[in-house]
Amino acid sequence: MNAGAHRAKAEAIEQSLARCTTADYETVIEACMLAGTHWFNLALHATEPPLLDHDAMHAEFLTVGERRKIACVLPTALAALDTIESLRTPYVRGDLAGGAQAAQCALDSLAELRRAALHACTR
Amino acid sequence: MKIASHLEKFRRLDATLRRLDPGGDQELWIWTAMNAGVHLLNAALHACRATLESDSFHSQVEGVYAVPDRTTGMLHDAMHAPGDVMHVGQPPVAPPLPAGIERASIALRTIEDLRERFVRGSERADAQLQRDWRTAYATCVRELLAVLDTWQHQQ
Repeated sequence: MNAGAHRAKAEAIEQSLARCTTADYETVIEACMLAGTHWFNLALHATEPPLLDHDAMHAEFLTVGERRKIACVLPTALAALDTIESLRTPYVRGDLAGGAQAAQCALDSLAELRRAALHACTR
Repeated sequence: MKIASHLEKFRRLDATLRRLDPGGDQELWIWTAMNAGVHLLNAALHACRATLESDSFHSQVEGVYAVPDRTTGMLHDAMHAPGDVMHVGQPPVAPPLPAGIERASIALRTIEDLRERFVRGSERADAQLQRDWRTAYATCVRELLAVLDTWQHQQ
């Protein structure tokens, strides 16, 4: 997928996300993961030379080498996507207490990813 | 996870899904329908004792579970027999399964298989496809609720 398509997908998912509140925390966390991954890929596309020759699906499944490279260039974006992904098991698949706060954390991380992607595109 | 918790998750996700449109909210509709269906599938699998009703959550890695400490909220990883499934067939569940679960799994897999083209990819669904998705979700829910209804009457 090219950079423009990643941005369009991220913005489309964020529009749907606007229909939810932190009370819908499972859906909010998942929407942040989906939109955040598109912003993450947009940022990766903007790096020169490219850090990956493929789109990332989950930060958790990047290789150790890929993560080390990305951490050098896009540390806040990688940390933000890691944060969102870490919320899925306990609050989406699981029933740990504190889902609304977790959703707010996911939204904050999504904002960080959006900032990082748009900043990377202007460099 | 426990059956009651899966059912509560299903109710919450199903309520959110009703506010979404498979056309305008394509990505989030697919994802929310999938998550709602997986929670209901887990409840039904536990109810018919095909999988273990345990206080653990499936992680992103097949077969690895996060076990909560309910006092501290901390999680630790563990591997044990299923347990919750992450998706249909992940991890595999030993047959035979009730026919209703088999039918629901086919419908749920239809929704899961939309991820690559319509969530991660750029394809858009026409009105017929959107109707097909709603039908698949309704079939999944109807079949699984019937399994759970039978189980409740046996209690």
